[in-house]
Amino acid sequence: MVRVITITSGKGGVGKTTTTANLGTALALRGARVTVIDADIGLRNLDVVMGLENRIVYDLVDVVEGRARLRQALIKDKRLPDLYLLPAAQTRDKDSVGPEDMIALVNQMRTDFDYVLIDSPAGIEGGFRNSIAGADEILIVTTPEVSAVRDADRVVGLVEAAEKGPPRLIINRLKPQMVSRGEMLSMEEVVEILAISPIGVVPEDEAILTSTNRGESVVFNQQSRARQAFSNIARRLGGEEVPFMDLTEQTGVFNRLFGMFGKR
Amino acid sequence: MGFFDNLFRRERQTSAQIAKERLLTVLVHDRVKLTPEMMAQMKTELSEVIARYVPEAEPGEIEVTLLHGESSDYLKADIPLRRSKISH
Ligand SMILES: Nc1ncnc2c1ncn2[C@@H]1O[C@H](COP(=O)(O)OP(=O)(O)O)[C@@H](O)[C@H]1O
Ligand SMILES: [Mg+2]
Repeated sequence: MVRVITITSGKGGVGKTTTTANLGTALALRGARVTVIDADIGLRNLDVVMGLENRIVYDLVDVVEGRARLRQALIKDKRLPDLYLLPAAQTRDKDSVGPEDMIALVNQMRTDFDYVLIDSPAGIEGGFRNSIAGADEILIVTTPEVSAVRDADRVVGLVEAAEKGPPRLIINRLKPQMVSRGEMLSMEEVVEILAISPIGVVPEDEAILTSTNRGESVVFNQQSRARQAFSNIARRLGGEEVPFMDLTEQTGVFNRLFGMFGKR
Repeated sequence: MGFFDNLFRRERQTSAQIAKERLLTVLVHDRVKLTPEMMAQMKTELSEVIARYVPEAEPGEIEVTLLHGESSDYLKADIPLRRSKISH
């Protein structure tokens, strides 16, 4: 049975697309059959982050409007045989698709995949509503900043109103050294403020940029700290109990903070 | 707590603590979803009720604020009373 999971945030630029690409790859590496959908219509991004921009023939709107079958529009990943991308339309506007279309679309994927991840556009308007319409679960991405957390809180309210079950939280771009100096909100503080349960914390990592430059997933970069974070989220999605990241080698204080968290 | 107390306290806090306090306060407002019109209406109705029991209450001087507290958040109403000669 497929699980349709939307990755959303409220605020733009906090890491939804990065999370969708890397979590999709991490899940596929663990043997799951995965499709990632770019629901940011008009601002197509997921294809370049995954390095698949040259292979696009049809897009999501072509499928919704019947110009292409789903099979024709899905793009196979360069490395992983069970990872596919359904790209967004770049030259159409957001209103070309409605919530019913999205529900019908994911229903076509119910038999052939284990996970469908939907990359949501920023904001809380139509595009956001489309992206959550077909979802079984929601992951909310935030950075540890006042404006991002505030917007995430808005989205928590909207997701609960849409009766999608309790969303889970991914805290992205955390800088352990800043947290230990008291110059950045910690994971515990963000979790306490938003009052939803965390499914992952991803450190700030330059490897994200270098991987994105190459159009590769950071999950293939063995040295990267973000790699471990995304793999852990993939395992937690699969129901495993994985303690929150222990970054002992990097900073002692970070470790102590997360040590506390893991034991709870 | 006065303006200067706040200012000095902020100086001793780390930026993360300040961020947390600001967030908690802004979220109390976001979550309660009281529009300015509803707030004005609520103050008018409050004044009417209070005037029935406390004639010294200054109508129109009621101040309503939303606050973040340790164990719960608050809707706080300040109602100034006129000082009569007897009470001095
Ligand atoms: N953990 C991270 N460390 C470093 N850079 C990151 C991290 N997560 C995201 N970024 C960068 O932040 C920018 C915005 O990320 P993106 O995933 O496009 O956000 P969104 O889809 O929410 O708008 C990108 O340039 C991305 O490379
Ligand atoms: Mg994006």
